[in-house]
Amino acid sequence: MIAIIGAGPAGLAAARAIALAGISVTVIDAAQKPGGQYWRHRSTVDGYKATRSEKYFSTVMGNPLVTYINGAQVWSATRSEKSIHINYLQSGVEKILACTDLILTTGAYDRSLPFTGWDKPGSMTPGAAQALLKGHGVIAGKSIVISGTGPFLLPVAVGLAAGGAKVEGVFEANSPLRWLRSPLALLLNPEKALELLYYLKQFRRYSIPVRFGKAVTEFTGHSVRISDVNSDLTIKKANVQEIECNGIAAGWGFVPDITLGGILGCNQVVDKDGTVIFSTDHQQRSSVSNIWIAGEATGIGGSDLALAEGHIAGLSVIGKRIPISLLFSRFRKELFARALQVSYPVNPGWKKWLNRETLICRCEEVTCGQILDSVEELKAEDARTSKLFTRAGMGLCQGRICSRNVAEVIGASKEVSVTDSERIAYSNRPIAAPISLGTLGDGISSK
Amino acid sequence: MNSKVNFTFNGTRYSGEEGQSIAAALLNSGVTSLRSTRFNAEPRTIFCGIGICFDCVVKIDGVANQRACLIAITEGSQIESSQ
Ligand SMILES: Cc1cc2nc3c(=O)[nH]c(=O)nc-3n(C[C@H](O)[C@H](O)[C@H](O)COP(=O)(O)OP(=O)(O)OC[C@H]3O[C@@H](n4cnc5c(N)ncnc54)[C@H](O)[C@@H]3O)c2cc1C
Ligand code: FES
Repeated sequence: MIAIIGAGPAGLAAARAIALAGISVTVIDAAQKPGGQYWRHRSTVDGYKATRSEKYFSTVMGNPLVTYINGAQVWSATRSEKSIHINYLQSGVEKILACTDLILTTGAYDRSLPFTGWDKPGSMTPGAAQALLKGHGVIAGKSIVISGTGPFLLPVAVGLAAGGAKVEGVFEANSPLRWLRSPLALLLNPEKALELLYYLKQFRRYSIPVRFGKAVTEFTGHSVRISDVNSDLTIKKANVQEIECNGIAAGWGFVPDITLGGILGCNQVVDKDGTVIFSTDHQQRSSVSNIWIAGEATGIGGSDLALAEGHIAGLSVIGKRIPISLLFSRFRKELFARALQVSYPVNPGWKKWLNRETLICRCEEVTCGQILDSVEELKAEDARTSKLFTRAGMGLCQGRICSRNVAEVIGASKEVSVTDSERIAYSNRPIAAPISLGTLGDGISSK
Repeated sequence: MNSKVNFTFNGTRYSGEEGQSIAAALLNSGVTSLRSTRFNAEPRTIFCGIGICFDCVVKIDGVANQRACLIAITEGSQIESSQ
């Protein structure tokens, strides 16, 4: 039995490849609806190439070969020689699904950097703004500022403007000239130029101002302060502009969700940009036999790369030959993903924006000052020891939002770089979602 | 149009569209805080929007620590701020 965890672009592409070969597959996802983070359209919202999802939905959903389990949060998994057991929670009931082959396509979430006021209502990730809009038809704020880095800021700005919000500006920290460093990636992905043109047209249509080399460094709850930043993200000139708004969506790329593969023992590596990802072979096989991994969890590359990787993983699981054209398509998109890393780096200077009162761990309300004190006064060596003193990263989110920032703040204060083993340690957690002992006590039923 | 769903939040009646999450329906109704934080009593609401950050946790029909950004509103449900 083949199972796929994640019904985003990568998971659906894998399921489609398997089902088209006449083989049955089970797809399991925490969300109510398929499509992952990208395809969550309601009929009222459209976006660039929004109709592409139809091809996947129509072959996967309602196909008798595909069992789709929705609203199912996988919190853990175990494996033995012969099978893998997936433990999930559906409508408060604990269940187990057993499979022989597993494809993990668990995606990613927004990376956040702390700044003064980022914990105030009105401040959220661009992904949250996008999810509210595409999934629920709600605009995140009547007037909103978008800040951070990366191409994802573009569809978020356009979506919000089209949905009726006043987008006061997009403040991209990096210079567009950085793209000149990746000529081959641009040459091999000409369709990306069309996508950019589409967004430029939309920006003009909704009169959205775009500024480069700037970042929001403070949110007061009803306005943002913008600073000019250098390429290393240190502040060149603080508070050059103040804009009244009731929302700020700030995002700095994505963090792959690697918890489940980590629990199953799949080998991880640290990518060039410091994110922890899975190492896979040319067929998307992980280091563990019978587990394949595709999509953002193998490195951030966007939906096109996720689709190609998912397709390859699906073919590989059923032992089908992988066409050269598909491998080349993945290669092109991988080059583009590399170019994204080069064009939108999150350089270390952001730590200079913080003051002692800035909150770093949202769950346990730990400030930058408390973390620095744990290093200076209590002699914490790394994020793990600091955590014992301050509780940073010990809250309900299990450090998903803050652990990288905590490690990097400590590294900077001690003037050392964060080691790969430390990065892998803070990126993994023993369970994929908190589960109450009460639920477990109610008994586990096998599906 | 989707049909209307009624629910209460901290005793006040609200409504939203069928299929909307609790966080989305409340934000759309002008509610800017889902809970107060444990130590500093600061207001919090949706942050990541996809079930990662746990900033949006509420008590739904007596069950605590539920993520309001993931769970859809249901008719008659009673939602309360959790501490
Ligand atoms: C909030 C958000 C919004 C985004 N919006 C866009 C957009 O509008 N346009 C765009 O081009 N890109 C968007 N992205 C970027 C996006 O990551 C990729 O474009 C694309 O969705 C990646 O596909 P994927 O299949 O790798 O992962 P995803 O689409 O992230 O799919 C992963 C799936 O795995 C499921 N999952 C993960 N862990 C578990 C678990 N433990 N149990 C059960 N299910 C689990 C999730 O519910 C999810 O459905 C967004 C990213 C985020 C985080
Ligand atoms: S807003 Fe982050 S978990 Fe709900």
